[in-house]
Amino acid sequence: MNKVLYYKELKRNRKNTLIWTSIVVAFTFLILSIYPSFSQMGDQMTELMSTLPQEYARALGMDEGTWSSIIGFYSTYYGIYITLLIGIFAASTGATIIGKEERDGTAEFLLTRPVTRSNIVTTKLMALGTLLAVVYSTQTIFAVLGMNLFGDDVLWGHFVTMHVHGFVLISFFTAAAVLFSSYLSPKLNYMGPVVGMIFGSFFLDAIAKATDAVSWLGFASPYYYLQLQAESGTLEVNWGSCIVLIIIALLMLRAGHARYLKRDIVG
Amino acid sequence: MKAIEFHGLTKFYGKHRGIESIEFSVTKGEIFGFIGPNGAGKSTAIRTLLGLLHPSGGSAAILGHDVVNEGVQARLKVGYLPAEVDFYPEMTSRELLQYHAGLYGLENGDIKIEELAEYFELALDRPIDDLSYGNKKKCAIIQAVLHEPEVLILDEPTGGLDPFMQNRFFELMESLNKMGVTVFFSSHVLSEIQRMCDRAAVIRDGKITAIEDISSLLSKQMKKVRLVLKKKAELSLPDGFQNHHSTGTKHNFDYVGPTEVLIRWLAEQDLVDVVLTEPDLESIFMNYYQR
Repeated sequence: MNKVLYYKELKRNRKNTLIWTSIVVAFTFLILSIYPSFSQMGDQMTELMSTLPQEYARALGMDEGTWSSIIGFYSTYYGIYITLLIGIFAASTGATIIGKEERDGTAEFLLTRPVTRSNIVTTKLMALGTLLAVVYSTQTIFAVLGMNLFGDDVLWGHFVTMHVHGFVLISFFTAAAVLFSSYLSPKLNYMGPVVGMIFGSFFLDAIAKATDAVSWLGFASPYYYLQLQAESGTLEVNWGSCIVLIIIALLMLRAGHARYLKRDIVG
Repeated sequence: MKAIEFHGLTKFYGKHRGIESIEFSVTKGEIFGFIGPNGAGKSTAIRTLLGLLHPSGGSAAILGHDVVNEGVQARLKVGYLPAEVDFYPEMTSRELLQYHAGLYGLENGDIKIEELAEYFELALDRPIDDLSYGNKKKCAIIQAVLHEPEVLILDEPTGGLDPFMQNRFFELMESLNKMGVTVFFSSHVLSEIQRMCDRAAVIRDGKITAIEDISSLLSKQMKKVRLVLKKKAELSLPDGFQNHHSTGTKHNFDYVGPTEVLIRWLAEQDLVDVVLTEPDLESIFMNYYQR
């Protein structure tokens, strides 16, 4: 790893990271702060939930049982919004952290310095991992604070499982974005494909959960393998799926890394 | 050891030829010109030399280091001035040059940055995005020489510089060359090559068409001769004389060959006046280009 390049990458992405961290933390606090109002609604809540179409509630993990505790309430929003938001940040940063140099013409400057391409790509991936860790750990810290502030009897085991699964999912999407970007033209705007990939995976899993007839669709989505909501009141870390997805993510990073080493910088 | 060596270097973009079988070398301490029109393959050769493009065949080396297998060692001793200047727009010139110094592991970078910025009258603390193209070019020149390279690779170096700064740039290159720095100078501005270089290679359609000493390139080429004899007479023209026209005692012709042969022949004539027109590099280059 090249320290000069590593710190420069962190500095270059700090504003973007700060903005996304602020959004995610604010959203986390907003969700948790409204839970006390929901929990006091009692019968009204039961009535509200019964009006939702069953398929819709199943798809998005919303039901009375889930929302009867702060962890269940949080898990619905965590699955829908927070993993998507952090996923979009991490995957879009992953797609551009290397390709941006080529698109902006600065690759010529960087690659003519006495640093190997392999070292450059590895360093940039390390910086990407650091940025993801900063956003994710900050969100987690604020979620823990919010749970303590706005809820009681928090099932911390469920919380840890959700966050482990969420981190693996986000890492998987980030690696996929790095791989895609290594094959695509640097002049493309990666945001569309990145958002499409994450939303597509999420809705594929949601549709599979909602309708038994197409439940097989879920197999194509990483969300299917790592649940973010408690089903039948249990939520445990699925280590097998975590390991498989991490191995696939590492292979995708390896393939993206190898692709960048062979790429011509035409200028 | 040669400063730069090309051994059959070839680069194809798919089916399209960029450069093919480039074969020449640049001696240490030399200022070597690389001449060719736009699209001839100059930048492809340079980009392959610097590891930005992967060669389709052949090899190249800088100071004995193969540019593919020992790229880091090769680039450590090279300063590169690109034709198009694209730097990080969010950085100031100072930050960019400090970043450059960091990547080269320079310890006294800040002092040298100040010295060179003063020499080129560059404001260091303005964002690069706010700089004129000429000032970006100055920043590019400074980054090329900051780490005291042994070999300088310059691709169309003076574009965007005003004549005063061009002169400073040439003075700097000449002083670095006197200290032993090899300069590989790619340009289509032939007067610059003529001013700076000892030798030059001419590239056309991706292939090297000539490698010559600049002085020999100039001396071997066609000269236009106009002479006036004391009396009307028939001239006996040896080999190398062509396109002869005469009106009374006035004769015009072209001469291609060694200059001393022409001088000896002129000395034998009964002359009133003689005018020899030296070709500029432009016409020599066109001569090569049309071959």
